Amino acid sequence: MLSGKFRSALVIGGQGIRARKLRTFLSMVSLFLGVLAVVAVQAGSEIAERAMLTDVELQSGKDGTIRGYVPGEKGAPAIVESTLKGRTDAVAMISSNAIIGEPGVRPINEGGMPFEYAGQGRGYYGPTMICDSNGSCQEQKQPEKKPDGQAIEVSMVALTGDIRAFKPFRPVSGSWLDFGSAPALAPRIVLNEEAAKGLRQYRVPGEMTIEGATHHVTPQIIGVVQDGDMQPRVYMRLDELRTWMPSATETTNSNQYRGGGTSLDLFLQPGSDDLQQLLKAKLIGAGVSQEQMQFQAVKSKERMESELRIMRLIFLGMAFLVLLIGVAGILNVGLATVGERVEEFALRRAVGMSRLLLAGIVLAETLLTGLLTAALAIGAGAAGLQVALMMFGSRFPSLVGTAFPWEAGVAGVIAGLIAGVLGGLIPAIRAAQIPIATVMRA
Amino acid sequence: MTQSFDQPTVQVQAPLLQLNGITKVLKGQGEPRTILSGVDFTVHPGQSVAILGRSGSGKSTLLSLIGLFDRADEGQYFLHGNDITKLPERRAAALRSAEFGFVFQRFFLLKHLTAAQNVAMALVNGQGWSARRKRKQQVMEALEQVGIAHLAKSKPTRLSGGEQQRVAIARALVRQPRIILADEPTGALDTETGNLVVEVLLNTTRQGCGLVLVTHDHDHARKMGRVMELRDGRFN
Repeated sequence: MLSGKFRSALVIGGQGIRARKLRTFLSMVSLFLGVLAVVAVQAGSEIAERAMLTDVELQSGKDGTIRGYVPGEKGAPAIVESTLKGRTDAVAMISSNAIIGEPGVRPINEGGMPFEYAGQGRGYYGPTMICDSNGSCQEQKQPEKKPDGQAIEVSMVALTGDIRAFKPFRPVSGSWLDFGSAPALAPRIVLNEEAAKGLRQYRVPGEMTIEGATHHVTPQIIGVVQDGDMQPRVYMRLDELRTWMPSATETTNSNQYRGGGTSLDLFLQPGSDDLQQLLKAKLIGAGVSQEQMQFQAVKSKERMESELRIMRLIFLGMAFLVLLIGVAGILNVGLATVGERVEEFALRRAVGMSRLLLAGIVLAETLLTGLLTAALAIGAGAAGLQVALMMFGSRFPSLVGTAFPWEAGVAGVIAGLIAGVLGGLIPAIRAAQIPIATVMRA
Repeated sequence: MTQSFDQPTVQVQAPLLQLNGITKVLKGQGEPRTILSGVDFTVHPGQSVAILGRSGSGKSTLLSLIGLFDRADEGQYFLHGNDITKLPERRAAALRSAEFGFVFQRFFLLKHLTAAQNVAMALVNGQGWSARRKRKQQVMEALEQVGIAHLAKSKPTRLSGGEQQRVAIARALVRQPRIILADEPTGALDTETGNLVVEVLLNTTRQGCGLVLVTHDHDHARKMGRVMELRDGRFN
């Protein structure tokens, strides 16, 4: 019975729309703008959130990732490396400095500063201090000044596995490190954009000097990624680095000067508590103090959401105002249509249709109009996004590959439904109240 | 309970509908006006009744009360012996669909629908649902009954007045009602077409359907089994 009523409402609603195409179109025009505004705001805020989130995730790691810091002392690096070997749910990252170019010269960007500041002196980090375990620091005696030469200094990051599972690096060119193959003698490195810019800008010999390494290395540059870092960086496999630097993971001199040893950055997938416990147990067993180890979850999304919430609410408020104009349009057309269809509605009631179903038919018409408009607005929004990405995508790398967010589609459908109900409710009530006797006698 | 049966042949049968002491007062902005005053009225299966009367005598009001378009202020209404005087609107709608077929002077065909779709309108009213094929069959049978099956796909604007009224009659017949209520169905037609329409309506009574015809035309009224005249809200 309900199905019969529902089908009747849909059939008659569809007939009504087909019979008044121009009116339906006119009511759709204003509603289209309203729904499109809601879709655009929702899509915009989703995309902005994702773009901002991606940038934050490049720096801090994906939302929910467990990030750990372990000091690079007492054999901790080797313990971490052996524990994580072959695992895909955790990666350790060990940073050091390297110079690419002529050996024994002062790099163009001494200290690994961004090339924008190259040649402005070693002011990037400020004076180097040496601190003891009590926290008493004194300025380090400046090392003997080396002659200027064709070399650039980069931050070198050695990885135990594919970090992209935790930090969504965007490929720029070439390929990423292959952790499945056997380690190469000539270490394969992937540059970040700043390091690639340095190599492009300054023609330096393809030789790499790594702090603490036994020999100079001739690396193979296999790709460039965007890692969201302003500092020039190169990424390589830890096992390939070990070939040239057996003590790769131990404290380097430069880091000692900065008041600590090489630290290990750990990235663990959420829920890997067992692994975390295992690592802690092994490290404590090796003599690393528990206070020196830190593990915490990355909450990038939470931070982003709170920042975007107010902005989104303001824009949604504006979009709903536009939607209200659309609702007023559909209401206006709906009321005019009911006035015109008095005889039809009276006749339908005369042949046995209930007031409720008659109201349902008027609502079904406005709901169908609202949904049709929503579908068009969502389609226009998705197409508009693709066009915008084609035109401006290259200027905003974080937007590359962005898909139309489903949340915007849902918001559009909800807006269409709300507009359909609000715009059709009063006409529906009026239609249901038409007195059959008066009309049929006229 | 007052019953006046003019045709002995139908007296043995229980009445299709029976109105007792029906009063209807029109309450507008001015003084209330009594349209019907204590009217008694009965229709039996297969009986045709013509209601005559001057404009404003209450003919159409009586018809709208019989057809459950409106409610009486006083009196009782029995349908198949059941008291439906205070029937809720939802059930009244179901009864309109199942029991009555309506034919109006102004046809009330929807211009954007074909003749067949106009007839099908009485089937797509939320009172049950039948498959498209069955609906089509019912519609074609009703159109055949009034002799215009060949015009099924025509829009009302392409039909003559008589054809349009026959589409309206087919719409009234499609649900196989027990009672046809016709409010001046020949008022907008020429004499010849009017006669044809009255013949079509009378045919329905041969299948046991009751017919109540409101008309100004005495010739048409005489063709009915019973003629009643309303004057100042009362039957003479």
